[in-house]
Amino acid sequence: MANTSELEKGLNELKRLTGITLAVTAEDSEQEQMALEQIRCLCLAYREKYNKNDFLMGLMTGGVPSYDVQQRAARLHIAPEENRILFLIEIKEPDEIIGEILKNLFPSQTKAYIVPVSKERLAVLYPFHETKDSKDSADEHARHLAHAIVDTLNAEALAHVQVSFSQMIPSLLELSGAFREASLALKVGKLFYPEQTVFPYNELGIGRLIYQLPVSLCESFLQEVFLDKIPDKLDDETLLTINRFLQNNLNIAETSRQLHMHRNTLIYRLEQIEKRTGLDLRQFEDAMTFKIATMVMNYLHAEKEKNCTAV
Amino acid sequence: MASLSLQGIQKIYPNGFHAVKDFNLEIADKEFIIFVGPSGCGKSTTLRMIAGLEDISGGTFKIDGKVMNDVEPKDRDIAMVFQNYALYPHMTVYDNMAFGLKLRKVPKDEIDKKVREAAKILDLEKLLDRKPKALSGGQRQRVAMGRAIVRNPKVFLMDEPLSNLDAKLRVQMRIEISKLHENLGATIIYVTHDQTEAMTLGTRIVVMKDGVVQQVDTPQALYNTPCNLFVAGFIGSPQMNFMDAKCTIKGNDVTLTVGKHVLKVPASKKQALIDGGYDGKTVVLGIRPEDVHDSQAFISNSPDSVIESTIKVYELLGAEVFLYFDVEGTQMTARVNPRTTLRTGDHAVFALDMEKIHLFDKDTELTITN
Repeated sequence: MANTSELEKGLNELKRLTGITLAVTAEDSEQEQMALEQIRCLCLAYREKYNKNDFLMGLMTGGVPSYDVQQRAARLHIAPEENRILFLIEIKEPDEIIGEILKNLFPSQTKAYIVPVSKERLAVLYPFHETKDSKDSADEHARHLAHAIVDTLNAEALAHVQVSFSQMIPSLLELSGAFREASLALKVGKLFYPEQTVFPYNELGIGRLIYQLPVSLCESFLQEVFLDKIPDKLDDETLLTINRFLQNNLNIAETSRQLHMHRNTLIYRLEQIEKRTGLDLRQFEDAMTFKIATMVMNYLHAEKEKNCTAV
Repeated sequence: MASLSLQGIQKIYPNGFHAVKDFNLEIADKEFIIFVGPSGCGKSTTLRMIAGLEDISGGTFKIDGKVMNDVEPKDRDIAMVFQNYALYPHMTVYDNMAFGLKLRKVPKDEIDKKVREAAKILDLEKLLDRKPKALSGGQRQRVAMGRAIVRNPKVFLMDEPLSNLDAKLRVQMRIEISKLHENLGATIIYVTHDQTEAMTLGTRIVVMKDGVVQQVDTPQALYNTPCNLFVAGFIGSPQMNFMDAKCTIKGNDVTLTVGKHVLKVPASKKQALIDGGYDGKTVVLGIRPEDVHDSQAFISNSPDSVIESTIKVYELLGAEVFLYFDVEGTQMTARVNPRTTLRTGDHAVFALDMEKIHLFDKDTELTITN
């Protein structure tokens, strides 16, 4: 019969995966085809069940029931109780060599697991050994590792990458929480601190607050700050002036020097901004309000873009 | 190797942060260029734009006359060495150096040739079979360099590659990198926040602050003729002494008054003050610690540049002594001969070498005399 060799291959694969030896008796090629399909489905089901990546991905997305975790982890030789940190890596231009580099950076002896999350994202579940590294330095260790990942991928793959990482978790049962933390850190970091490449979950600053706010509340805040004069988008020159002024701690002399303009020109510009927005940036309170408002505007802008893309 | 051209380069992030502003630089073939400045000044961002790891918001970047703004990083023929380098722990030195080439499917014999050549340049030949954990910090750093060298790129980009090493090793590696530049004859762009590294390694230095290029020049010229107060203070260790001085012009005589001290400005410096109309205005007087003298012979020959104070701290460094004292509320440092008899608490008389003073406009902070 035509499918005999395929059937043999399927049975061998099933034996390899499960240790079960089966024999197939078919009266015609139709029955043989049906048996082949069933064996393939069985192989697929076992592969999914015994695949580390699928298991860890399931844990990260909350798709594995907690009563099943211990047993499946034991079958896959993953210690269920161990201190770990989850790193989430986003690659601008995905390239297959990146996976290869990470595999070699974290070889199997390190007990780190690399899980592809999507085309652009990879997760690394990294064990933190308290015997080797002091407990106090967990954050420092994670930060150093995150920078090492960025620098190595920059140098070896010449790829632009950004890395976030969760807080330390003691058990696989908390992996979904760690994944949520790392995902949030990546989103907030990219939105509010795009000039950085490493985003620790516990250092998101004011961006964390803004990101958690509902859009309606953000809009109310902008309405309150700017009344009916909410600037949709400030022009580049105004933004540059404001950012420089804020970066220089509201120092007019230093800002005007850096912008190569007379201090009176800068003061005139700041007054124009005050006319447009009602905020006198020379006052700390107003400058702080403006800084938060621009962050909220960036957030709303990103949300709008996300919604447009989704539509 | 290659020449690079950066014209009006800008980097503005989506949140409005202006990291690099109007960066202009021509880099000749085989030059060793240093980007130096305090943390957050935009030096690494500029390097990453050259590498293609960051988009260029404005301006034109060329390698050998070809516009590279939108060229993929891997097609720019560059290699990078970073601060947080990580070696592959289970691979030997040889494999660590060969790995990048293997990923790019370079033929085995070619990989072998390149790795052995790089190992020879870096003096790693005897260590090729060792694993990273059996290497010292300096040897690991050399392996990281080796990974870049085997690519035989047009341009080497190094982002604070020595920052993770201890002070002694940094000095050793500085010498190694300098030799490497000579041996490879490569164009190197090197980022550091350490002005000593900048001064000892670079053929030219780009001093940056807040995303703006302050001055581009040779190490010697930067030290001797800084263009503004920031460069004057940043280059040199201990840093240049600064004090406010009131300028008085009477006929052809120009004097600077610092509290009770009146200092006569020499002919080589006074014309700039006269031409700039600084009479009655306050300027910033800068003088390097080695130009503040305590020797009796110098003081006798320079009666118009004498200052007096009480020594606050005496620091013996072996070959030299640093003396710290206050002049009209400003802390000053003198670098003097270790045979000096001055000690903490002593009343001291110093003479400034007025030919070596630097004068800066108090408002613009730009140089008046250089």
